[in-house]
Amino acid sequence: MPVVEVENVTRVYEERGQAPAAALRGVSLSVEKGEFMALAGPSGSGKTTLLNLIGGLDAATSGVIKIDGKALGGLSRSQLSDLRRDRIGFVFQAYNLVPVLTAAENAAYVLELKGLGAAERRAKVKKVFERIGLGAHLDSRPLKMSGGQQQRVAVARAIVSEPAVVLADEPTANLDQATGAALMDLMRELNREQGITFIFSTHDPMVLERADRVVRLVDGQVVGHAPAPR
Amino acid sequence: MSGALALGWRNIWRNRRRTVISMSAIGIGLFLVIFYSGLVAGMLGSAKNQLDDAGIGHVEVTAQGFRVRHDVGLWLKDTSTWKGQVSLPPGAEFGERVLARGLATSARGNEPVQVLGVNWVDEPNLSAHLRHLVAGALPGDADARGVVIGEQLAERLGLKLGMKVRLMVQRTDAEMGADLFRVRAIFHSVAPAIGQRQIYVSEGAARELIGLEGGAHQLVIQLADPAQADALAASLRSALGPGAEVMTWGELLPVLKRMEALMDNVVFAMAFFVYFLVGLGVLNTMLMSVLERTREFGVLMSLGTRSSRIVQVVLAEAFWIATISVLVGGALGAYANWHFSQAGLQLGGSGESYQLEGATISTLIKTRFLLSDLLKATSFVFVMALIVGLYPASRITRLQPAEALRRT
Repeated sequence: MPVVEVENVTRVYEERGQAPAAALRGVSLSVEKGEFMALAGPSGSGKTTLLNLIGGLDAATSGVIKIDGKALGGLSRSQLSDLRRDRIGFVFQAYNLVPVLTAAENAAYVLELKGLGAAERRAKVKKVFERIGLGAHLDSRPLKMSGGQQQRVAVARAIVSEPAVVLADEPTANLDQATGAALMDLMRELNREQGITFIFSTHDPMVLERADRVVRLVDGQVVGHAPAPR
Repeated sequence: MSGALALGWRNIWRNRRRTVISMSAIGIGLFLVIFYSGLVAGMLGSAKNQLDDAGIGHVEVTAQGFRVRHDVGLWLKDTSTWKGQVSLPPGAEFGERVLARGLATSARGNEPVQVLGVNWVDEPNLSAHLRHLVAGALPGDADARGVVIGEQLAERLGLKLGMKVRLMVQRTDAEMGADLFRVRAIFHSVAPAIGQRQIYVSEGAARELIGLEGGAHQLVIQLADPAQADALAASLRSALGPGAEVMTWGELLPVLKRMEALMDNVVFAMAFFVYFLVGLGVLNTMLMSVLERTREFGVLMSLGTRSSRIVQVVLAEAFWIATISVLVGGALGAYANWHFSQAGLQLGGSGESYQLEGATISTLIKTRFLLSDLLKATSFVFVMALIVGLYPASRITRLQPAEALRRT
């Protein structure tokens, strides 16, 4: 069964005093468990909008989106929150760590929401941090860390609760080429080792060449599904 | 909730200066309200509790008509029967007075006076000035011709200890009564009018002077708690019947009652405006603090944080700001009230008191510290801060996570 199903989804933004703007127009796609998939396209093509809809951060104007077979459309705000907490991980372009929390506390935040005790949270986070090479930075503050380290903390935060899918919105856009490549390699390893499904948006060729599949969006429409260029 | 409290605690120190300014505004506002209400309560409280500065009782009993006509022929025939029917509250002081208006004459001149025939043991409990003698001592039981006068009267008549003064009053038989007395003590009163007008003699000498064989013109009762006056007065009216006029301090000095109501309103209005302004300040701070982190709240929502948890985090920030402000402002207010309840605060010019329609208001105001007042003020500020915190929280939780993430 697909982890993510998107069926004929549109998203129209209606601002008062402005003409409606369609960010997505009849998009359909399916993502299988364990896929490492890229959404490609120029700026304004609808990549971020589609990721937001898949993650339940926004509501589609029409169409159906399912995670693990469960349609998001009928869920309340609280149910959507719980779904994100339990089944979806996010990695943002600008890292978006909470500056008043340590790196470990940032990663453990979702586990705290799930009700895990402090010792269990610490143990899980420590294990993930060691896996991604941040074992010495558990108690570092985000603002004292490099961009690459912060983004790895963000990856740790996304995977620590073992979600069904991780949505990464241009995860390497703020990183230099080498750091970005290292981050993509890390996500790829996690994908292979743990079977975590990744969907990321990008227009960076270095990122695209690491994907199993590339879905191209132009003007809010899917214009092609293809294996990644090698 | 503990996680939200911990996060809220860290969040308030992101911008230390803004948080400290906000806390200072709340703390100073709370301090002002607590101190001002303590000051007003102290001023009115001392006026109520220290009626003996003017020799006025919390409850006074006279014969019907005496208070208006001051006719020495209107006296209470039986001043003892009621004691079997009415029990005084603990701490109450009681005394009888024989009263007459008259003239005091010395070698220098004469002055109109109010003669009070009193029991030298009971009266110092009812008239504070008899406890503040500047010269001499209260006459003994055997000294039937001893009088106690005020500083001002002594100065006007050129009287010193041991000197003679002649008192002339109207008698109950419509004749004039006069006798010669000697000054045994001179008292100091915070109310100059009392020092100028009142002259104390023994109850026996007063009876002889005005021709009153038994009874008294006035029963005076001082209470430990002025609030007991109404209940006691009701019991006395029932026991003494229609021939006696029983009045409470509120009826004797209606200005105090009016002032009490007025000051309650003044304190309420002041507290309202202070809290309103403080509330606006806190709202502004909270709005700035929360709205500038809209994107971060969007991240928290995308990680699976429910709206209720977002509200908890924002309220936790308001909770910590309010708690620290209330602790500091409340402690300062409590300390100031306690300090000035002991040392007093000299207000209202150089005199010791001023008279207001018969009430003596001391210019040395001793503030009143009441835990209940402190708790009321701090609770109000606390609740206000939490309510104010709800608005920015609701602004955030109304947003879709994606919309919050788009905000910078």
